This record gives sequence, C-alpha cells and structure tokens, in this order.
Amino acid sequence: MGVINGRGLWTLYVKEVRRFMNVFSQTLLAPMVTTLLFLAVFALALGGGGRQVGGVDYILFLGPGLIMMSMVQNAFANTSSSILIAKVQGNIVDLLMPPLSPAELVIGVAGGGVTRGVMVGFVVALGMSVFMPLSVHNAGFIIWHAVNASLMLALLGMIGGIWAEKFDHIAAVTNFIITPFSFLSGTFYSIERLPENWRFIADFNPFFYMIDGFRYGFIGHADSSLTVGFFLVLIVNIILGFTAHRMIATGYRLKA
Amino acid sequence: MSLGAARETGKPRAARRYGAVNWRGLWVLYSRKAVLRFLRYGLESIAGPVASSCIFVLVFVLALDGGRAMSPDLTLAQFVVPGIVMFTLAQVAFDSAAVMIIHDKQDGVIQDVLMAPLTPLEIVVGYSLGAATNGLLTGGILLLIFAIFIDLPFVNPLMAIAFALGGTVLFAMVGMIVGIWSERWDHFSAAETFLVMPLGLLSGTFFSLERVPAGFEWLLLGNPMFHAINGLRAALTGHSDASLWLGAGMIAGLSLLLAAITWRLFALGYRIKS
Repeated sequence: MGVINGRGLWTLYVKEVRRFMNVFSQTLLAPMVTTLLFLAVFALALGGGGRQVGGVDYILFLGPGLIMMSMVQNAFANTSSSILIAKVQGNIVDLLMPPLSPAELVIGVAGGGVTRGVMVGFVVALGMSVFMPLSVHNAGFIIWHAVNASLMLALLGMIGGIWAEKFDHIAAVTNFIITPFSFLSGTFYSIERLPENWRFIADFNPFFYMIDGFRYGFIGHADSSLTVGFFLVLIVNIILGFTAHRMIATGYRLKA
Repeated sequence: MSLGAARETGKPRAARRYGAVNWRGLWVLYSRKAVLRFLRYGLESIAGPVASSCIFVLVFVLALDGGRAMSPDLTLAQFVVPGIVMFTLAQVAFDSAAVMIIHDKQDGVIQDVLMAPLTPLEIVVGYSLGAATNGLLTGGILLLIFAIFIDLPFVNPLMAIAFALGGTVLFAMVGMIVGIWSERWDHFSAAETFLVMPLGLLSGTFFSLERVPAGFEWLLLGNPMFHAINGLRAALTGHSDASLWLGAGMIAGLSLLLAAITWRLFALGYRIKS
C-alpha cells in the first residue's frame, strides 16, 4: 500500500453506495415522490395568481429549495444509518479492523452519503422538470452547493451516527435539528419574510446559505452574499471533517 | 380463586370462563401491547410528530404573504391547523398499527397474541383501538398547543371528536392491513410513501377545494382524508368545503369495510400463521 489504501477506500465507498442502491425504491424513488407531493401542495396552496418571490414565479423559487431539502435529508440519513446500524449490529469492527486510516474511513463513508445526496437531487430534479421549467443560470454554483451541502450533511450524519447509541437518538436529531433547519432556512419563503429580529437565524445558518446559493444557480437571484456562502460551506465542511476524523481516530463511542 | 389459594389447597384451578367477550384479554392487548408500548418511546413517538407539525404551520404562515387568507372567513392558520392536526393524528395511527404488527411478526411474539384466548375480532379491536388512542393522544396534544397561539372557535366539539375518532380509526385499520401484508420494512415504507403521504398531502390540508384545477376535484372528493379534515375543520372553525354527512358516511363505511377485511385476514391467518 502506498500513502493511500486506494483499493480499501474504493471498496468501502462501493459498499456504501451499494447499501442504498439495494433498496433504491426507498432511497431514491421515495424522496422523489415525497418532494413532488410537496411541490404540488405548495404550488396549489401558495402559487397561482402570478405570485412572485425573489423576482420569479413562486414555483421556480420553490423548486431548487425542495431539491436541496431532499438532498440534505438523504445525505444525512445515509451516513447516520450506516454507522449506527453497524454499531448496533456489531459489524462496525469490520470497518475499524481493515488497514484503513481514520481519514480514509471518513472519506469512504462520507463519499457514500454525498453520492446518495447528489443522486437524490438529480432524480428529484428530473421528476420536477416534467412539471415545471428548470433553467440553469450558473451550473458552477449548482454543483458547488450540491456537493458541499451533501458533504456537510453526510459528515453531520457520521458525527451523529458515532454519537448516537440508540435509534431514538438519531431520530431525535433528525426531528429536532435536521428537519427544522432544512424547513426553516428559506426553502419555502424568501428570508425577507422573517421578522427583523429573527433574521439572525439566517445570518449564521449554513443551511440558509447553501439553499440560497443553490437556488442562485437556477434563477440568478440570491438573498444573501454569494461569496460568504461559497466559503462558509467550505469552512464548515473542513471543521466537520476534522471533527469526524478526530472521533474515529480516538475511537469515541466506537472502540470500547 | 386466587393463585395463592390454589397453591395452598393443591387443587387444580378451574378453567377461566369468559362471557361473549374476553374483556380482560382485550384490555391487556389494548393497554399493554398497544398504548403503553407507544408511550414508552414518548419523545420519539409524540414529540417528533408534534414538532414537525408545528414546523409545517410555521413554514406555511411565513411562506404566505401576511394578509392573504385561504378562504373569505378564515385566516391561513385557522385553515391549516385542523388539517395538520387530522393529518398527524391519522399518520400516527397508521404508523402505530403497522409498526406494532410488523414488530410482533418479526420478533415472533405475534404467537403470544394468537395463542391467547382472544377471537380474531377481539385482536382487531385491541390493536386498532390502541393505535387509534395513540393517534388521538398525539392529535390532542397538538390541538392544545395550537389552541394557545391560534384563535379556534370550537364551533361543535362533539363533531370534532366524532371526526377525529373516525379519521384515526380509519387509518389504524389501513395500518393494520399494511402491517399484516408487510413482510419487510421496505413494504411498510412503500405503503407510507405511495399511499399515506399522497392521501395526506393531497387532501385539502393546505389548500381549499376551490384552488384545485377544474377536472381534478374528484381527486379530493374521493379522498377520505379530505372528508376527515373537512369535518374537523367544520367542527373547529365552522368552515366546510363539502357535505359533512357525505364525509361522515364515507369515513364510517370505509372503516367498517376495512375492519371486516382485517378481521378476515386475522381469522384466515394471512401472512401471520404459516
């Protein structure tokens, strides 16, 4: 082996991808159906009458937000369930025993989560494009934020999976942190709608920047500073990556 | 005769006799198996759905321009809250019934229920009333929370209870059938994604009948969830989009039909007894 155990890393990555592809109806199709239902509901309830948000029709504003929401939820679900199931079943040793460094473990597992997130995003976008026009304004921003948002939630999922000891714990994190953040961070409404003294929720919220930056890639309108968003997601990912790395290196709640 | 007495005298105990209904058995199945199991995971099972429903309402109120109302006589929150309460209540009842049965099947403890001196009808009643209770508990808590923040007139409390009961029993029945039919968790989540979510979301929770494009009204009018929500909304706020008697009849009829099917499935042992 050289500096990097390339084959081991590849095997781990493929295992992570196969894990969700095995049940693709649950991991790819179900998010698509749910997201399209959301689109229908919100378009029926709130769209119509030429209502405009951020300079475009409401449905065009909503679409990218919903794609991002499904991506982050699935990236998180993938890594958190992978680690937690391995811990509960005891086969986590099969991850820790092979000659893989902590960094390689983080990259392999998070890579699987990113792949799931991006694939879900793609499938959802494909489904949406049947019902509404999805035009691309800046592909670079779309790809940057899709990958970084998926990575951020994949890393959070790893950290959550390592921390959790029971499925209740991860369900609590999903219910009380991930879902509220992905719902309340400007998926459905422009941040101008928030009362003045609640704007701080958006200012320090990476979810808001990635939804906003991702949406900019489609409609060419952003509520926030694109530069701040661009670097913020990168910095947050580096911090989360190091955290996950430390947790695995020290064996926190992994090695007895 | 108590157990202690039997031991002292050394005589075998007489076989327990039941009337037409094994009330004690039914009560144990209902309380221990269905309701207490649900309450043991209080945070996950009640707080989770309650939190996500509150987020839904918040998102809706924020996403909509302040002044715009759903219908002439109701504010947005007044319109959405009854729908969210009914949707949550039905979903919890469905989840609870299906998860109970799948767990019992996978762990093999369904044998304990089948072996007990309970008729198929008693089993159906015990499980489904348990799941319905869990739905009503969650919905009730949710309604209490919303009632603090939102002005709900409670026009007809009796009708509210009737429709809540109808919706939760109906979806408990759906959950039981899905639970019996499911052999793996995939089956359950497929049913949830492709049946319960569409019924719940395309139901008039979030939009009134008038907003549906012409030609698609049947989609709403044929959805029992729409009628359950409409009934609860009428009872809480006095606003109704459709005939309440038609809705009540549809919910009651479907519930009875599904209960009969569930009863037959248990009696035959479909996917339960090998």
